[in-house]
Amino acid sequence: MIAPGLPRLELPIERFELSCGAQLLVSPRPQATIAAVSVHVRGGPALDPAGREGLAFLTGSLVDQGTAAHDEEELAALLEPEGGEVGGDAAGVSGSIVNERWELLLESLAEMTVAPAYPSDKVELHRQRLLDRLLVERDDPRVQGGQLFRKLVYGAHWLGRAAYGTRASVAKIGARELRAHHRRNWVARRGVIAVCGQVDPQAVRRRAERLFARWPTGTPLQTTPPRFPARAVRSGVFPSKRAQVHVYLGHLGIQRNHPDYAALVVLDHVLGTGPGFTNRIARILRDELGLAYSVNANIHGSAGILPGMFTAYIGTSPDKVRTAVEGFRREIVRIQEEPVGQEELEVAKSYLVGSFPLGFERAARRASYMISAEVHGFPPDYLERLLESFAAVTREDVQRVARQHLHPRQCVLAAAGPLAKAEVGRLARP
Amino acid sequence: MRDSSLEKGGARIHEHVLENGLRVLLAERHLDPVVAVMLWYRAGARNETEKEAGVSHFLEHMMFKGSARYGKGAIDRITTTLGGTNNAFTTADHTAYWFEFASDRWESALEVEADRMRALLLDPAEFEAEKQVVLEELAQGEDDPWRVLSQEVQSALFPRHPYRRPVIGYSDTLKALGPGEMRDYYERFYHPGNAVLVVSGDIDPARALAAVKQHLGSIPAGKPYREADAFRAPAEAQRGEQRLTLRWDDEARRLCIAWPTVALGTDEDCILDLVSTLLAGGRLSRLYRRLVIEERCATSISVHNDTRVESGCFWLFAECAQGTQPAELERRIDAELERLARVPVARAELARAKRIIAAGEAHDAESVSDLAEDLGEFAIDADWRLALRTLERIQRTSAEEVRRTVAKLLVPDRRVVGWCLPQEKRKTR
Repeated sequence: MIAPGLPRLELPIERFELSCGAQLLVSPRPQATIAAVSVHVRGGPALDPAGREGLAFLTGSLVDQGTAAHDEEELAALLEPEGGEVGGDAAGVSGSIVNERWELLLESLAEMTVAPAYPSDKVELHRQRLLDRLLVERDDPRVQGGQLFRKLVYGAHWLGRAAYGTRASVAKIGARELRAHHRRNWVARRGVIAVCGQVDPQAVRRRAERLFARWPTGTPLQTTPPRFPARAVRSGVFPSKRAQVHVYLGHLGIQRNHPDYAALVVLDHVLGTGPGFTNRIARILRDELGLAYSVNANIHGSAGILPGMFTAYIGTSPDKVRTAVEGFRREIVRIQEEPVGQEELEVAKSYLVGSFPLGFERAARRASYMISAEVHGFPPDYLERLLESFAAVTREDVQRVARQHLHPRQCVLAAAGPLAKAEVGRLARP
Repeated sequence: MRDSSLEKGGARIHEHVLENGLRVLLAERHLDPVVAVMLWYRAGARNETEKEAGVSHFLEHMMFKGSARYGKGAIDRITTTLGGTNNAFTTADHTAYWFEFASDRWESALEVEADRMRALLLDPAEFEAEKQVVLEELAQGEDDPWRVLSQEVQSALFPRHPYRRPVIGYSDTLKALGPGEMRDYYERFYHPGNAVLVVSGDIDPARALAAVKQHLGSIPAGKPYREADAFRAPAEAQRGEQRLTLRWDDEARRLCIAWPTVALGTDEDCILDLVSTLLAGGRLSRLYRRLVIEERCATSISVHNDTRVESGCFWLFAECAQGTQPAELERRIDAELERLARVPVARAELARAKRIIAAGEAHDAESVSDLAEDLGEFAIDADWRLALRTLERIQRTSAEEVRRTVAKLLVPDRRVVGWCLPQEKRKTR
């Protein structure tokens, strides 16, 4: 039933290694009106020392506060009138601009990557803004519920910590630490640069070669095998006097390169992420039981180099939480015990295969895909292979991966809102 | 049948009006093999009676719950099977339904829209089940302090006009609403004469028009809008400043100021776009630079020119930095607004703001859905050509026009000032 003859997604990628050691990926896109550039630096919050959580985030997010060549105002004056939008985070810095000014964007991001200034006054300003934000988020049940859930799943591993840090850790971070962290970790051998737009790949290469020439080569990222708490029933509550309770039920998930990835994407679409009411959880918990406006379940979305999480989420009134948690468990068990219907399987697969080109209209999306493909080591024909993998998933595959990767009797449960701790503890037990 | 064409975002735009009154905009662009289909109805919270508050948005939900040919869930199933996506949204002035498909199958959207335009089921059991979902959506909004604050400010800004009401309605009006009342509203507003269809992307305009006629051309025009719409008092002018304070159980001091302004598409609407860029568009804008960067009395600031069919709001949102008194932040905002009302903006600053807006046009039309949304919103609320003319009007705006508009509209005695502050016990912590 998969719709035949779908238009193909054209995403040509030319790959270069720059003299500095960074990888450059260029995807020419004829007629594009917007160009996007993304610089990814491997490492991220994993490199935050204990007690300095938020260091990687601040290092990346403040690269736009001035460079050796331009201060922050000059950068804004150059970029903004050309539609230039730039933002950094723990994983690097990226931006987009009207296509004809792609060189300006590449030049600016190269400056920010290679020679950010971290002026003390600007660092202090933005650190204080982050502290203010963390103070407000301290009482936000949605934020705290999500954070509690991560902690219950990942324990003391850095994935269980807040990427922005805490008020205590951020208070200890200053400009000197940002410069040192940047010097140690923002090095070319860990860098991937992606450019998408109406560009000539060779022209991009020549320009990038010159702009990134002074980026220190450094050493590749060293990683250690992660350790996570064993899957088990655990629970926690963030009490808050609000109208709704945010409920998170789940456990440790899979890595992005797991061979079951395609089957789990299909499973997710049948169980809890298919559009509208095509997934079981939205159809039953939202449509039939009227429990919520926002409800979903997903294991593939957070899969990365390290394992993601299986998360079933609902925002609902306190009197409906028990029905919701029971509903989640019932649907997880059902997809393990009964093969999915042929029609719902085909609907999910058709969507996954057919909707793929829709997600690649924006240049920024193309650039972020190129980074992801490089970081995960996907082959050049990965997208085609992935679509073929979706199309090949069977009812038996879905049941097998549901049994192998979903663990309804070993879930953690985090709740944030007007609900008692004892009640959450009772709900956590299957 | 009328026909005209112009260009926007690299797309050639053709306009047609069918005999039943349906206005059709076809925006042809072949960058990607993708097509967006958006159907807009002139039916939003503004068109509701007091008793019907929330019916427009609730009806938007029910449009996915069954029509003659598409039973409950069928629209999502068909969209998904064809590898497409769909969604919908409701505002104070209109409701819009959106599909995006690969370009060889987008016509399926027309079949769906035709069926639910003339034969919506509104099954009573489905109606009651979906009401619970809408009530949960309302509860979700009640947990968002910015939403609660801006709603309170909006209610004060429009004391009699329906623009005062939240688009989602109130729990009491929603609970009291029955399928019969929704059916009445649907029959008043959901027909070709009260709708605009936009098809944008990888299309052949002649074939697209033929498909539109085939699926939607035979639906009767329906009751003229003027007869269908309820009477309402005009959006009255503000008399004197109003102030309100809410309490929330966190440490934020949130400020929302709103002024009543002008209708969409007027000259002053374009000038207010420029004003909002001068005040908070980018890192060199006046309010961001002074309040966030230099004086550090706000952690964030934004403004929004929200013009509507019958009036408009100019919104200002700011969060007070810890250690700054709310009154101090307000005083500094006032000083910047007063300066903009008194001293014409410098030529270079004005030119920069105009360039930011012009460059933003490319971002605003990057996807076929962006393009369909921009054209459709202007078309349903006023005239789609405004999507093209606004930039030209902004380009010829003078510094004196900016000054005069701010001095006329954004003054203290026309505004509502709302604060959301920590609960009393927190103030002493």
